Amino acid sequence: MEEMLQVKNLSKSYGNLTVLKDISFHVKKGEVVAIIGPSGSGKSTLLRCINQLEKADGGEVCVCGQTMFSSDESGKAVYSSAQILREIRLKIGLVFQNFNLFPHMSVLRNVTEAPIHVLKQPKTEAIETAEKLLKKMGLLEKKNSYPCELSGGQQQRVSIARALALHPEVLFFDEPTSALDPELTGEILKVIKELAKEKMTMVIVTHEMAFARDVANYVVFMDGGFIVEAGTPEEVFSNAKSERTKQFLERYHNG
Amino acid sequence: MGIEEIKKVAEILLQYVPATLKLFGATLLFSIPLGMIVALLRKCKIKPIEWLVSFYILIMRGTPLMLQVIAIYYAIPFVQTSDSLEKMPGFLQTLIGLVDIRDAGYMFNAVCVAFTLNYAAYFAEIFRGGIEAISKGQYEAAACLGFTKTQTFFRIILPQVIKRIVPASSNEVITLIKDTSLANIIAYEEIILKAKQQMQLYSSLVPLFIAGIFYLISTIVLTTLFSFIEKKLDYYK
Amino acid sequence: MRKKLWKTAAVIMAASAMLLTACGGAGENASSQNAESQGDTSSDTATNGESGEDLSLQKVKDAGKFVLGLDATFKPMGYTDENNEIVGFDIDLAEAVCEKLGVELVKEPINWDTKEQDLSVGKIDCIWNGLSVSPSREETFNLSEPYMKNAMVFVVPESSDINSTSDLAGKKVIVQNGSTAQDILTESELAANMEITSIATNIEALQQMDINLVDAVFMDEVVAQYEIKNSDKAYRILDEGLAEEEYAIAFRKEDQALRDEVQKILSELKADGTVEEISTKWFGSDITTIE
Repeated sequence: MEEMLQVKNLSKSYGNLTVLKDISFHVKKGEVVAIIGPSGSGKSTLLRCINQLEKADGGEVCVCGQTMFSSDESGKAVYSSAQILREIRLKIGLVFQNFNLFPHMSVLRNVTEAPIHVLKQPKTEAIETAEKLLKKMGLLEKKNSYPCELSGGQQQRVSIARALALHPEVLFFDEPTSALDPELTGEILKVIKELAKEKMTMVIVTHEMAFARDVANYVVFMDGGFIVEAGTPEEVFSNAKSERTKQFLERYHNG
Repeated sequence: MGIEEIKKVAEILLQYVPATLKLFGATLLFSIPLGMIVALLRKCKIKPIEWLVSFYILIMRGTPLMLQVIAIYYAIPFVQTSDSLEKMPGFLQTLIGLVDIRDAGYMFNAVCVAFTLNYAAYFAEIFRGGIEAISKGQYEAAACLGFTKTQTFFRIILPQVIKRIVPASSNEVITLIKDTSLANIIAYEEIILKAKQQMQLYSSLVPLFIAGIFYLISTIVLTTLFSFIEKKLDYYK
Repeated sequence: MRKKLWKTAAVIMAASAMLLTACGGAGENASSQNAESQGDTSSDTATNGESGEDLSLQKVKDAGKFVLGLDATFKPMGYTDENNEIVGFDIDLAEAVCEKLGVELVKEPINWDTKEQDLSVGKIDCIWNGLSVSPSREETFNLSEPYMKNAMVFVVPESSDINSTSDLAGKKVIVQNGSTAQDILTESELAANMEITSIATNIEALQQMDINLVDAVFMDEVVAQYEIKNSDKAYRILDEGLAEEEYAIAFRKEDQALRDEVQKILSELKADGTVEEISTKWFGSDITTIE
C-alpha cells in the first residue's frame, strides 16, 4: 500500500524542554491512525509539526513522497523550498479542537473561500462541491447561517467540510470532540466513521478511547514526548506490553 | 446681532466649510492606511523599528496637535533661512528650495501632514488593539487552508479587525472634525478662523455659535453614518 | 508572513505619497513658477546676498508682490469686514505705498501669536496691523518710524462740562468688557473717584452715553476717532489720556533697504496729501504722526 505519511525520528523542544523525542510512524493510504495519550504527552505538538504550524528541530517528515524536512549531518531539520512546503500543505487538511471557523463568513463561504482563492477553482464549481459536502454533513440548510448561529457540533462539521473542500490526501483531527458537550460528540464521531468507510486517510488525536478502538487501524500511545507503544487496536488496548500504557488505559476505563 | 447680519456671517462661514471638510477628508484618507502600517510596524520583531514606532506614537500622543502643526509648518522655512541648508546634500537643498512657504498649497500640505501623523498614531493604537484581539487560531486555520499571508490579512484578519475597531474609530473621526479648527494656529482659513474674525467685527459671540452649528450637523451626520456601519457589521458576533 | 505584509504596507505608503503629491500638484506648480520669477534667489529666502548686500527691496520688486501680514481682527486698522474683505486704515495706506513701489499688495492673514515666526521665515514681508512699539519688539524687529499715536482716552459729549480728567470725579464712566481699556482704567489712580461700568461693545457704550446713562466712555483713541467719525453724534476727546503707545510697521532685522524705502514713500505720501486723505476717510482728520 502507498505510504501517505512517513515520520522518522522527529524531535522538538522549547528551550530545554523536550516535547517530542525520536517520533517515528507511518500512515498508509486509506488507514486511520489514532494517537492517544495523557495531556502534555506531545500529541498536539506532533500534529502541529506535521501541519507546519510548529517547526521541528530534527528528523524527517514525508507526505505522499514529498519531503517536508529532513535532518542534515548535525541532526538539524532542514526544510524544503517554500514551493514544496506549499504543495505539501495543500495535500493535508487539519480539523481544530476549537473549529477556528471564520466568524465573518457564512457557512458556505467558509467552505468555498479556500477552493476559490487558493485552488483558483471557478466559483460555481466551488459552490457545487461545498453544497455536496454540507449535504453530507447534514448542514445544507444552514449554508447561509453564520458560525455564531450554529451549535458546537454543527460548527465542527462545517470545519470538516471546509478541510475536505480542498480534497486533502490526509486529514488530521486535533481532539475534534474535546470542545463539545458530551451529547454532541456522537455526531462528529459518526462523520469520521463515515469518512473511514470511504477510505479517507486520517490521523486523529483523541481522548475517545472506545472510538479509537472502533475506528482506527493503528493506534499510537504517546507519553512524555515518546511513542510508548504502537500497534493495532487489539495489540494496544488488549495486550499492552508497557506498564505505562496499561496504567493509562486502566485509569481511562475506571474514569 | 440682527437677522440680516447673522445671515451675512453664515454665508461667509459657509464658504469655509469646504476648507474644513478638505482637511478632514485628507486626514482620514492618509491617516487610516498610515495608522494600519504603523500598527503592523509596532508589532515588528526588529527591536529598533519597534522602538522608533513606539517613540513616534509617544510624541504624537504626548504633545498637543497645535504644537505639531506649528512645528511641521515652520520646519522647512526654518531650514531654508538657516545656515544648515548649505551643509545638506545638493538634492535635498534643491528639494527644500522648491518649497514656497507663501504658496497656499504649502500651508494645506503642512497642516495635512501634521494632522495625518497625529491621527495615524491614534488610529495605529486602535488598530493594534483590534489586530491583537484576533485569535491565533484564525491565522492557523488560514495557514492550513493554504492562504498566503497577504490573503490571510486582507480576507480573514482585516474584516474582523474592522468590526472591532469601528466604535473606537468613530470617536476619533468625530474628534477629528472638531480638531480641524486647531489648524487656525497658523491661520489656515477654516470656519473657526473666519468665525473669530467676524466675532471681532461685530464684537459678538454669535459667529462662533453659528460655526458651532456646522460642527453639530457634521457630528450628527457622522454619528448616523457610524451607527449605520455598526448595524451593517452586526451580522455576526 | 511579515515580509509579505511589509510589501503591502510599502505599496500603501507609496500610494499615499503619490496621492499627497497629486493633491499638492497645484501648489508645486505655483512654487516652481515663483522659483523662476525669483531667479537665482529662489532657494534662498534670507534676503542678504552672499556679499552681504541688502537685496530685500530688490526681492519685493522682482516678485512684484509685497506681502503684508495681519491678523485681520483689529478694527479699524486692518480687519475683515461684513463681506469677508480685509480692509482698514493700514490696508489703505499700504495700498498707496505699494502703488508707489509698483508692486501688488498681498494681504496675508496670520495668527498674531506666531507673527514673529511668519516674518522671520519669510512667509510675509512685514507686520502692519496697528502693531504697538515696545522695547522687546524694537529688539526683535526692524521697526519703521511710528506712524500713529494711540492712547486710552475719555470720550464725552461735545456739550459736556467735563474738560479734564479732574472733572471726572464722581462721574459714571463706561468701558468695553474684557478690553485693555478696562484693565488700564481700573488699575489707574482715577478709578477710586469714579463709578466704572462695562458693556459688551464700544458702540453700545457710546449709545449709553447718548441717553445720559453714563458721562464718559473710556476707549482706544484710534477706535474712538473711528467711531466718532462714523457716528452722526457730536463727541469730544479729552486731551489727557492714559497709557500712550505708538504704532509702527515691523520688518525683518536685516531688511533695511525695504524698511527705508517704505519709510521714504510714507513721507512722500504725507507730503502729497495722500495720508491726510486716508486718515480723514477713517478717522475724520489726519491723526498720523508721519513726517
